[in-house]
Amino acid sequence: MSELKLPQAMAELRRGLPNVIAAGQEKAPYFAALLSSKQGVRMFVDNREEGVNEMPPTAGTVLTTFDGDVVLERAVGGFDKQEVEKGARELVSSATFDPNYKPEAKPERRGDFVSSMKIDPHSLSVQEKLDRCRELQKRIKALDERIVNARVGYNEGTEYSVFANSTSDLAQRIQRVHMLMVLFVAGPDGQVRYDWLSKSGTGGMELLEMTDEDIESILKSSLGLLKAERIEPGEYQVISAPGVSGTICHESFGHGVETDMFLKERAMAAHFIDKTVGSDLVNIADNPAFENGFGSYFFDDEGQMASDTKIVKEGIFKRGITDLYSSEALDINRSANGRRQDYSRKAYARMSNTYFEAGETPVEDMLAQVDNGIYLDRWSSGMEDPQGWGIQVTCHFGREIKNGKITDRVFAPIGISGYVPKVLGSITAVGNEMYLEPGTCGKGNKELLPVASGGPHLLMRAPLG
Amino acid sequence: MLDKIVSALKARKDLTGWSVRHVNSTGAQVYAVPKQVEARRGVDEEKFRIVVFRRSQTPDGSPAIGSGDVTILPGGDISAALDQAALVAGLVKNPLHTIPAKKSMPDVDLADREVKKDSLATLETVMSELRKNAAAQAGVDLTSAECFADIETTHFVNSNGIDAEQEATDVHVEFVLQSREGDKNTETHRELTRRRVSDLNLTAEVERRARYTRDLLHASPPPTWDGPVVIQNDALAIFLAGDGLTSTTLRTLSSASTKYSKVTPWEVGQSVFRGEVKGDPFTLWGNRRIPFGNVSNRFDAEGLPAQRVEIIRDNKLVTFHGAQRYADYLEQPPTGDFGTVELPAGKRKAESLLTEPYVEICMFSWFNPEPVSGDFSSEIRLGYLVENGKATPFKGGQLVGNMLDALANAYWSQETELIGNYMGPSTARFNQLKVAPT
Repeated sequence: MSELKLPQAMAELRRGLPNVIAAGQEKAPYFAALLSSKQGVRMFVDNREEGVNEMPPTAGTVLTTFDGDVVLERAVGGFDKQEVEKGARELVSSATFDPNYKPEAKPERRGDFVSSMKIDPHSLSVQEKLDRCRELQKRIKALDERIVNARVGYNEGTEYSVFANSTSDLAQRIQRVHMLMVLFVAGPDGQVRYDWLSKSGTGGMELLEMTDEDIESILKSSLGLLKAERIEPGEYQVISAPGVSGTICHESFGHGVETDMFLKERAMAAHFIDKTVGSDLVNIADNPAFENGFGSYFFDDEGQMASDTKIVKEGIFKRGITDLYSSEALDINRSANGRRQDYSRKAYARMSNTYFEAGETPVEDMLAQVDNGIYLDRWSSGMEDPQGWGIQVTCHFGREIKNGKITDRVFAPIGISGYVPKVLGSITAVGNEMYLEPGTCGKGNKELLPVASGGPHLLMRAPLG
Repeated sequence: MLDKIVSALKARKDLTGWSVRHVNSTGAQVYAVPKQVEARRGVDEEKFRIVVFRRSQTPDGSPAIGSGDVTILPGGDISAALDQAALVAGLVKNPLHTIPAKKSMPDVDLADREVKKDSLATLETVMSELRKNAAAQAGVDLTSAECFADIETTHFVNSNGIDAEQEATDVHVEFVLQSREGDKNTETHRELTRRRVSDLNLTAEVERRARYTRDLLHASPPPTWDGPVVIQNDALAIFLAGDGLTSTTLRTLSSASTKYSKVTPWEVGQSVFRGEVKGDPFTLWGNRRIPFGNVSNRFDAEGLPAQRVEIIRDNKLVTFHGAQRYADYLEQPPTGDFGTVELPAGKRKAESLLTEPYVEICMFSWFNPEPVSGDFSSEIRLGYLVENGKATPFKGGQLVGNMLDALANAYWSQETELIGNYMGPSTARFNQLKVAPT
């Protein structure tokens, strides 16, 4: 693992945090500080133009008090020691705390962590990264005369954070990378369709290699969309590709088990602990320690160390994912899911890498079980309904399965809807290989965070439209 | 610090242009769970967002221009930041374009005096109003609420002489209502952002959501439907203007940047629709000048003054909307950010659009059409089948169709309203859409 080099101002403030915390804790029963810096760059090259842009950076300090009842916070822009000390004084002086609250004693935790990387993106110049985009764009732009534009995008995001309270002094650098190809093709009627393919993860440039097979696959799917039909609405036998499986998982037993939603009485799952919610082939986990997952980290924004949380085991719902406040209020064990969009926002219970665990069935064996169905190939969006347990997942397209084979017939877009336990209960086979795909997750329409979702292929029945 | 940044930019001979946005924001946040306040937060932020431009050459010797951007936080290293932005600008090779010139900026009201006076106290009042309104509704409980208020001042300066300021406020309210009957539990979730507290209309919002929440208790499975679909008020605003998370079909296909990329097939002077227009003629403006409009401003991120731009008139594209760069490429005037999606009032009374039978969609899970084709399949959170004088609520199923085909066969009400990022008819009747059952 590389050595962690924090931004200078952050490193200097880190050294002074023990005093800030000790002063805060003279009045507040629990006092913590999070230093958070997020920055990044995105670039693109297409047939007509190119660009390199900074991702708007955020950098600031969150000071948190808790007395078992109310979380009070002060968010201060930047890492100026005097400003932070002033913010801490204002925070505790303006509040009254429950003197009877005693936070649970935690073991001392200290450590510095860096995402595992073979080729650190920071070791390449902007020019080198832009040239990589230009080279890939050259490989794809002239593949077919129907391509009207070919776009390659590259994003890298770097998060530095320091968490400190009376027993913790933790720091991490999380490095995320993402490479995307988009092909726009036009049919004889002038209508434009497109498809995309991306590689990503928490790690280095080694995660982003686009193979000839990848390029061939995106060309085939883009051109296939020119002949896409709308699907006849109804219930179908379906095989979901890993990304689609992941989105179903994310929207159902991801959002649906965020325990702040239990507290707000917004989650049906709160009434289903230790009850059946899917077929006994269904196993769902959230794991911020998943190697190279786009949603991976070492500790969450409330200082909890990353570990695997088994949400559903053999079709039985076991537990939700927590932030500090909801775990205390509901008196359940913490999981490392207290995350913030940035220092200016509150922490909520949020997903990291959420997925169906792999089963035993090769996808070929699944296909052989389908006489007439749909292979759902590419997800484009999803929305949660934790109270009603409805599903909305939109797929960019799906392909017909006829007599155990995927045909050239394409349907687009396809919406999957239905009642979560019914859809999960219909799963009759779970693939033996799993993949994660990157995504951006909101709480409602805000609080956007990088996450990954995934799983293996799943064979099930679902209403499509 | 702004003066120092501007001086440093002026001193650089390698730049052909630059702009700086000095943004100062301060905000308050209050979060409540059923019986108490969960958290209160105060947030301050100051930043300087800089864009620089440099001329260069492409490998074949053609003149090119590139841009680089950087954000400096108070106390940051100005010189290092400008070096980094200039380095990037020198690497990027695009066809030549200009940057916005000095023009007068319109006065557009954007800031709420109440919020400016004391944002936290204002939020406490909003939270209390929310609780009072929810308590007045039979059969529903308020189970969570979040209220944010932000005050943002922006000072924009560029190398072409623009020097302008604006102050804006935002109030964001999110609340959840639940209803219970036996072991049945339903909820509705509402998010709304307005510039002014007085535009939140909490009494009406809570009353409407409470009705929806209660009706969901008795919702049937969705019908199979292929016919007229009515969409009104905030559901219509989302249908036409989106929720700000993704680009809408109308915005994507009328964008100068999308045209330059050869992704939109639309042409100026041609119909935007794929076939015959069976409904009322369609006209669209992008408008940044509406007082207290959510997406109004005096000037946008590159300093283009607020305008009301006619995009589509009577089904034909009038102009593409876009930034200075893409306007230069397409040889048309720049329009800047799109702003509010504005439609003209229709010619029909809203009640005349409610001829039975029809389906009304009140809430989507997420209405998110594919931006280039306009195709959509969106789950319905609450709809009504209205026939024989009775409105039967239903939940689930999907509204299936195509945005452009839907607009080509729609009737619009005379009654209009401003809802967030949409201003126009409050009721629309789409004559041929499908509801696919689950």
